[in-house]
Amino acid sequence: MKPAPFAFHRPASLADALACLATGEARPLAGGQSLVPMLNLRLTPVDALVELRGVPELAGATETPDGAVYGALLTHAAFEDGQVPDVTRGLMRHVAGGIAYRAVRNRGTIGGALALADPAADWLTTVVALDAEIGIAGAAGTRWVRAEDFVLGPYFTVLEPTELLTAVRVRRLPQTTRWGVCKVAVKVGEYAETLVVALIDPARGESRVVLGALDGAPLLLPATAAAAGAGTAKAALEQTVAVELAGSDRDFTPADLLLHATAVTRAIAEARS
Amino acid sequence: MKLPISLTVNGERVEALVEPRLHLADFLREHLRLTATHLGCEHGVCGACTVLVDGAPARACILLAVAADGADIRTLEGLADDPRMAVIKESFHQKHGLQCGFCTPGMLITTLDLLARKPAPDAAEIRAGISGNLCRCTGYQGIVRSIQHAAAALEQAEEA
Amino acid sequence: MNAAAAADPNTGQGVGAPVLRNEDRRFLDGKGEYLADIQLPGLLEVAFLRSPLAHARIRGIAIPEAHRGRVFLASDIAFAQPISAVGAAPGFKASDYPALAVEKVRFVGEMIAICLAPTRAEAEDIAQSIQVDFEELPPLWDMDVALAPDAPRVHEHWADNVVVETRIAVGDLAAAERDAAITVHRTLAMGRHAGVSLEGRGVIAHHDRRMDELVVYSSTQFPHVIRTILARALGLAESKLRVVAPDVGGGFGIKNNFNPEELAVAALALKLGKPLRWVEDRREHLVASPHAREHRYDLTAYADARGRLLGLKARVRVDAGAYSVWPWTAAMEAGMSAGIMTGPYDIPVYDGTAVTVCTNKSPLGPYRGVGRTGAAFAIETLIDAVARAAGREPADVRIENMVAPDAMPYRSVTGKLYDSGDYPECARRAVAAIDLAAVRARQGRGEPDGRLIGFGMASYTEQSAHGTAEWVARGLPVVFGYEPALARFTPDGKLILHVGIQNHGQGLETTLAQVAHQELGIPVADVVVRHGDSSLSPYGMGTFASRSMTMAGGAVSLACARMAEKIRRIGAHLLQAPREAVRLAGGQVWFGEQFVSFAQIADAAYLHPERLPEGEDPALEESAVYQPGRSTGAFSYATHACTLAVDPGTGLIEILDYVVCHDCGTMVNPLLVEAQVVGGVAQGLGTALFEEIPYDENGQPLASTFLDYMIPGACEVPDVRVLHMETPSPHTRFGIKGMGEGGAISPPAAVVNALNDALRRRGVELACTPVTPLRVREALAAAPRAKTEVVA
Ligand SMILES: Cc1cc2nc3c(=O)[nH]c(=O)nc-3n(C[C@H](O)[C@H](O)[C@H](O)COP(=O)(O)OP(=O)(O)OC[C@H]3O[C@@H](n4cnc5c(N)ncnc54)[C@H](O)[C@@H]3O)c2cc1C
Ligand code: FES
Ligand code: FES
Repeated sequence: MKPAPFAFHRPASLADALACLATGEARPLAGGQSLVPMLNLRLTPVDALVELRGVPELAGATETPDGAVYGALLTHAAFEDGQVPDVTRGLMRHVAGGIAYRAVRNRGTIGGALALADPAADWLTTVVALDAEIGIAGAAGTRWVRAEDFVLGPYFTVLEPTELLTAVRVRRLPQTTRWGVCKVAVKVGEYAETLVVALIDPARGESRVVLGALDGAPLLLPATAAAAGAGTAKAALEQTVAVELAGSDRDFTPADLLLHATAVTRAIAEARS
Repeated sequence: MKLPISLTVNGERVEALVEPRLHLADFLREHLRLTATHLGCEHGVCGACTVLVDGAPARACILLAVAADGADIRTLEGLADDPRMAVIKESFHQKHGLQCGFCTPGMLITTLDLLARKPAPDAAEIRAGISGNLCRCTGYQGIVRSIQHAAAALEQAEEA
Repeated sequence: MNAAAAADPNTGQGVGAPVLRNEDRRFLDGKGEYLADIQLPGLLEVAFLRSPLAHARIRGIAIPEAHRGRVFLASDIAFAQPISAVGAAPGFKASDYPALAVEKVRFVGEMIAICLAPTRAEAEDIAQSIQVDFEELPPLWDMDVALAPDAPRVHEHWADNVVVETRIAVGDLAAAERDAAITVHRTLAMGRHAGVSLEGRGVIAHHDRRMDELVVYSSTQFPHVIRTILARALGLAESKLRVVAPDVGGGFGIKNNFNPEELAVAALALKLGKPLRWVEDRREHLVASPHAREHRYDLTAYADARGRLLGLKARVRVDAGAYSVWPWTAAMEAGMSAGIMTGPYDIPVYDGTAVTVCTNKSPLGPYRGVGRTGAAFAIETLIDAVARAAGREPADVRIENMVAPDAMPYRSVTGKLYDSGDYPECARRAVAAIDLAAVRARQGRGEPDGRLIGFGMASYTEQSAHGTAEWVARGLPVVFGYEPALARFTPDGKLILHVGIQNHGQGLETTLAQVAHQELGIPVADVVVRHGDSSLSPYGMGTFASRSMTMAGGAVSLACARMAEKIRRIGAHLLQAPREAVRLAGGQVWFGEQFVSFAQIADAAYLHPERLPEGEDPALEESAVYQPGRSTGAFSYATHACTLAVDPGTGLIEILDYVVCHDCGTMVNPLLVEAQVVGGVAQGLGTALFEEIPYDENGQPLASTFLDYMIPGACEVPDVRVLHMETPSPHTRFGIKGMGEGGAISPPAAVVNALNDALRRRGVELACTPVTPLRVREALAAAPRAKTEVVA
């Protein structure tokens, strides 16, 4: 189980890195925690890898009055250990600690996870729930894309092969916002079977509930969020969830519906508790 | 095309010319003949290949050797003189934390890191802490007991 | 001799003592030497080109010009005889399992070509570059598909895809049916899965110029037997072949076959005269190592109104894949399951049929528990169903049906001779430890988190350490009747035991030393156990079938007992004491307060024969071969009981409590016994909850990495409470019974029983393994009540 041969570039700046990617034939390497397994299994042919480790523009985090910008190379462990500013009242730290295993979290990056857009990836659902923005650098400079517009489907985003994900811009959660997360995995550390991130803010009338780990992009549940924000009681809320899931454009089996509805209700209950 | 790398392995400077596709575990095993680092899956799940990279545990099977350029690597061989590892090993012996021994190097290194970050873990925290290291023989019970034993022994040593 | 009584009170190292392991040090220092750790000058790495298709004719193979001379096909090793494991049962259909596919491939993963290069990566590059022109044939991807009347055949010269069908019919089933107040019918399915030793398989072969022999390293459980069959397959004299099992990172049965990889690598190394190495990777392991389980059951129980079983009708069908594994044959799983189906129960009437089906899947082989895990799954879930029909507590119905202790020795309806034990007491202790009454009360109260609690138990009796009679009855190509031991002191007074078993985690380097200590009073630390090398130890059968402790332990005991006599004679002579007055302890021979050390005795025996008593032969070396007193087997038994919680909103199952009460006769080392039980339980929980390799309609295995194939991790295995009973077997040295496999037998049955107990009020019953969260949710979603229910 060894990779096919490829070339390897070690750029030292964002400009260098983008130059390496310009042909569209090379692929960025961040933590390698998803890419190298795929290479070992010879599931993805690559001609060249562009190592991002030495690109200073992708490292570190900056806090601003209204939020924070997290560099693509920040590892899950950096979030888990609180080495970065926390503007989400512990939400991102909590999510990071639930990704994979410590040895993987030590190297896997938020940028790599989002760029890959495995639908079951914890960060993907989380940044959509946070209504974060994704920074994308290309030949024409950097643009910012809303997370829900960034991801188009499983392993499918607006990123071009010649572009790099540079950072995630997250707005500071208001004091009144409460969050809840429900990740269900068959085994501890495994990818989610279902993943719900709920942000409930009755005071500001702004709530978001996002369901991930689906066959497609994360699914926003506005009706459920509104009901949850309005303090709807459990039974009625369950009804809303069931109706909204059934009415979505996704193909849910009865067993899926049971699972996702459970996760939605639990995430909301946690946020409200 | 091969690339030059230069890194520290078990305290010694190593310079080598390697294919970019070579992963760190194979570099350690096949080039440096350090075979305590085992391969149980080569896709990042089993933890048998766990080594310390700049002090933090990582899967050597999904870290390219070229991406470890400049890093400080420690394998089980390189922890032979580590006093904390000595306590952990003795605990695995006392509490029967190994059978075939194949998962053991990865387990030991994960334990070293776990107890450094969480000196007095309860059983559930231990289980969560080693959940990324698969063992097919022990059913984990002996390993959990070994780690509990090691935590207590390390605490005692610290106090003394 | 009884265990506890036998333990040496002076040192606590003999039979029955919880001695820490001799072998730990090298593993803890990372100095174990597994197959992939072995390097040889000029070694070439092997990658196999394996079939991507389940069933196809090979029309042509195109090897790129650049790689000529590095790719080898069946025609290049035509001298290697195919593997052929033929069962003795009438009607058994034989098949040739070639090292490399000839003309046709029969499962995804079957080997087509050997590719050689200095690194594995380059060898894989070569394999990827080869073009095979296939003519696809309809895949027989399921046993029902293979059994269809007009199904194409996996092996063309067969009349159908049934390898063999056997039947045991005893007693008057019609009468049982007539008399029955309760008739319960169930169909069950156990999923196919992989063995997953953490270390994969592997082979190295090279020619040793000085010895003029082919040396084959294999990560195997039985090196001597591999030498025999490999010599035959290669047309070599056994004296020109040495087989070595280095440190082996788990076996569990998958490394207990003669595999085509061993044949292919050895044959090519022989032909080329170059050292070759193949190291199985995880994908190869999951796809192409012998698989486990895949049983289907059709069961009918006839019982009286209280659930006392009057008769049992069982049809066992096993999907054995494309070929018969050597030496077990494809028929072993089904045959063993049907043969032990009645388990610990006294069932007077039985009609059991075992059908082995050939399909386009990886061959099925032995895996910890072998057919018994399936048999226990069948009878134990059936008994629960009977109890439910009788409106009684399954524990009570179970215990009432068990063979009573005063009926021992007991001949079962399938003809097995249960040697000893108290099955009902074992079950009672397990139930008491779980505190069934408290579980029932808790169920009545309901859980605050909405989860459902269930209790389940399962019992088994396991034939172990069976010798000649049993293996002859099974009609295998090899009869595994005995084990040898050679005990040899070194001149400096340390003992080396050369044994024919193979240690891969069981702790035999310690437990056999304990037996030596028992006979000789030598400190365990002074005993080295050598195994796993056909040139270093006497011919033995290897480690499987829960046999090594009983068999090799018996042999070591015999050899060391003889040795003890000689040491006493020499010691008495040196001490100028009467022979009857000396005793052995602590590596010394004592006469009152005086002693001579074993080192002094060995020195005399090897280097100073003039100091020996008259007529005493020099040297300190004894060998012995051991066979149990009766070769019908020593029956270990156990009851597993568990409580679990199932989350009806997600289908996730958590094991809350797990108790094993077991009896493996005299325990040589209770510490290691307990660890073997717990490790077995963890594997059984894998079978029960997680592990499965489904095949799609194209015959493609749907799990080929650890991303889609899950084995239990530390959070998925509970603390297992192990209770010991110790009824020595009358047939074996020290009364030891085998116990390596037992832990893996009951968990699927215990877990599914507990799950069904939990889901009973939802009107849901599952009858398969693994009971994944998805399967639980599907069952719940299909049940009328659960449709709109969401559990928070
Ligand atoms: C055993 C195991 C379990 C796991 N479990 C989980 C889990 O439960 N939840 C979860 O969310 N994840 C899980 N992961 C995945 C893990 O989180 C990865 O770290 C992550 O998905 C990828 O991050 P990386 O930095 O390693 O990216 P890489 O593997 O380096 O790259 C991933 C992909 O993104 C591209 N890429 C990387 N960085 C950029 C960038 N800046 N711009 C553009 N493209 C880029 C790469 O070209 C590649 O295609 C698991 C991984 C393993 C091995
Ligand atoms: S070998 Fe690296 S995680 Fe399994
Ligand atoms: S001891 Fe064998 S895999 Fe852990």
